[in-house]
Amino acid sequence: MTPLLELRNGTKAYRGVPAVSDVTFTLEPGEVHALLGENGAGKSTLTKMLAGVVAPTSGEIFLAGQKVTLTTPSDALAHGIAMVYQETSLVPSLTVAQNIYLSDDRTFHRLRGLYIAGQQFLQSLNFNVDPTALVEALGAGQKQMVEIARAVHHNAKVIIFDEPTATLTPEEKYQFFALVERLRDRGVSIIFISHALEEALEISDRVTILRDGQHVLTARTAELDREKIVRAMVGRSLTDQLYGDSHDRKVRSAGRKVLSVQNLSMGKIVRNTSFSVFSGQVTGVFGLIGSGRTEAAKVVSGVMKRDVFHGGQVRLDGRPVRYRVPRPAVRDGIIYVTEDRKLEGFFETMSIAENIYMGAMAGGQTKSATISMGEMRRIATEWTEALSVRAINNDARVIELSGGNQQKVVVAKALVQKPKLVIFDEPTRGVDVGAIAEIHQLINRLADDGVAVMVISSYLPEILHISDRILVCRQGRIVEEFVGTQADEETIMYAAVH
Amino acid sequence: MRRLGSLSQEQIVFGLAVTLCVVFALTLPGFLTTNNILNLVRSVSILGILGVAMGLVVIGRGIDLSLVALMAISVASTLQLISTGLPLPQALVLGLGFSLATGLINGFLVAYVEIPAIFATLAMGTAIYGFGRYFMFNLDVIYFTPGAEALRWLGDGTVLGIPAPIVVFALVCAIAHLFLRYTKAGGYLRAVGDNYAAARITGVPARPMILTQYMIAAMIGFVAGLVTAASVASMNTRVANSTYVYDVILVVVLGGIGLSGGRGAVRNIVVGTLLIGVLLNGMTIMDIQYTVQNIIKGVILLTAIVIDTILNPRDEQTAQQGDI
Repeated sequence: MTPLLELRNGTKAYRGVPAVSDVTFTLEPGEVHALLGENGAGKSTLTKMLAGVVAPTSGEIFLAGQKVTLTTPSDALAHGIAMVYQETSLVPSLTVAQNIYLSDDRTFHRLRGLYIAGQQFLQSLNFNVDPTALVEALGAGQKQMVEIARAVHHNAKVIIFDEPTATLTPEEKYQFFALVERLRDRGVSIIFISHALEEALEISDRVTILRDGQHVLTARTAELDREKIVRAMVGRSLTDQLYGDSHDRKVRSAGRKVLSVQNLSMGKIVRNTSFSVFSGQVTGVFGLIGSGRTEAAKVVSGVMKRDVFHGGQVRLDGRPVRYRVPRPAVRDGIIYVTEDRKLEGFFETMSIAENIYMGAMAGGQTKSATISMGEMRRIATEWTEALSVRAINNDARVIELSGGNQQKVVVAKALVQKPKLVIFDEPTRGVDVGAIAEIHQLINRLADDGVAVMVISSYLPEILHISDRILVCRQGRIVEEFVGTQADEETIMYAAVH
Repeated sequence: MRRLGSLSQEQIVFGLAVTLCVVFALTLPGFLTTNNILNLVRSVSILGILGVAMGLVVIGRGIDLSLVALMAISVASTLQLISTGLPLPQALVLGLGFSLATGLINGFLVAYVEIPAIFATLAMGTAIYGFGRYFMFNLDVIYFTPGAEALRWLGDGTVLGIPAPIVVFALVCAIAHLFLRYTKAGGYLRAVGDNYAAARITGVPARPMILTQYMIAAMIGFVAGLVTAASVASMNTRVANSTYVYDVILVVVLGGIGLSGGRGAVRNIVVGTLLIGVLLNGMTIMDIQYTVQNIIKGVILLTAIVIDTILNPRDEQTAQQGDI
């Protein structure tokens, strides 16, 4: 049988770095196909190529045996391929029916006819949504139904879902699965990206697993189980060379308990989580995106606004603390090093020296109310040498540096504040290999000096390489704890997925 | 992307001002006389002082549309209090207090209530004007009374032959420059304007800093108001409803202070002020109609903003915040 949709030897490179390399992917008519893999495995990029959002660097796409070129999403839609994103693309101030028929001419006149057509159409899909309701008033699950209805209205033969269940309640999830069944019965083929293995095993017909941008396996779901999938997701080759074997290193023992978090809850993301961080030790926190690890760290360090704070207790050196803004946390020695340095890490109009000095001033390391150029240069030199920041001189602007050196400046700006507890959130994201090793050495040095270090990462080899203790975060709470050298990728991943 | 070729916007504007100067000097008789030059700088010094106030706020990634209303009403109130017999020092303290209180409310609305600066200060400007007209005085124009004569020096006096408004302008510039470059608070202000989230995470007192920047602007605005009033022996509060505040923004943006915050310094304001001064002076000597002058100013403001956008592209985050 000819596959309905096929990507043959697809490669997509961003600035020369392949996000997906040489992947062949096929979709049969009327099947539900789950796409699995770690963060950054290339799932989104693969589906974006199929939906015309990004153009493949090389490779061909075939639709029912015919070669097609999809340059825009509307191109893909005209060919019957629709993509439903995590954040919906609906217009909130319009009604359900108006949204479904948005690109048709009849949208804004003959409202009555629109609602009747919408009613009949939604009923034919067996969707329980009021066509006259405003989209902004709908829940996440109903919004998804409207998106799907719109896709079906455009005669979509293939619907691609990017993490469809991430924002749904259990009840809505159940409805979503039922809906997928109905779509399949209508002959629609479905690709869905998911982090939830159980879901994939439950509703898919076939599974494709990607790792580091490469195709690992495609198999019938019936032939797979949880263990096999986890092993395929984490099995590595490339990364072993970078990190070596991490099992023969020595694990630092815990010092005094610096941070203790009990039953912390925040919004929908952090759910009743409890954990501790000890001095003189690196505590690695692993979790998939959306598992609430960053949010928990941001609550502890006062970075996140606490409008939706639901309670819980944070103790620093045994003393209860509650930070509403980062400044008192910084003054108490809790420093959060952001995962997004461009957005909230450094000051782009300022030089390296000014950036580091700003940390010193804000952290209370400078006593005077005026800026001393001599002191600024001295502090900057001390830290750029300690972290071997490579730049022409310390008057160079941070924005002009490489990702690795930018990150080092952000780290220097934090460490100049003499922290008791440093929380590194994805410390090596977007950093070149050489700088990764240097940043890891620095983290080790900090722990040797008795600082409590917490490293959040969604990259397993990094967690295993750097941590003395590993916490695994899942669905807003810390669910497992391992001793650094005793865990392996599979056990950690097993704990992290649900 | 700060540079166009090898020139910054500030250098372009400075070059433009010099070019205009040369052209006017060659073509307009009487342009290049000491008298006219002093007159030129004097006529824009108030604009320049207000430019410093606005510039500090814009560097902190804000904007203060209430600046002119605040200046007019606080100074008019001061004059009104003097005319009712209050001694000058007390009246000045009250006027400054009113001004600072307004700045405090502006800053509170922006920093703590998190209203976009453009809306908060727009509404505040209207509110201040209404407040002044309803509670403080009934006339549009408040004149000097004998008790306020001592203030006249700010408008008429000279220091070593230099008119007092220019001296005040120079002083305000110098103090603002020292503040911005050499104090911790000035550094914080630039950090907050450059990247609010990063400043916050670094432990900079971000919200108090925003509060401070509006209060400083209000204080400088009060000084500008005193000079304005002293020059003509009265305060015309109708200026609060004019487009004067946009001239102030013109000076700031023209000089190369990016609306995206963090960029620029006091010298940018000086350069912007000079260009506007030369332009207005030249147009007045050429006897160009007021309405035509407005067209020219408008086109220049738009050009400056377009250049600003090209040189300092605003990131998505800024765009999402909906502020200017």
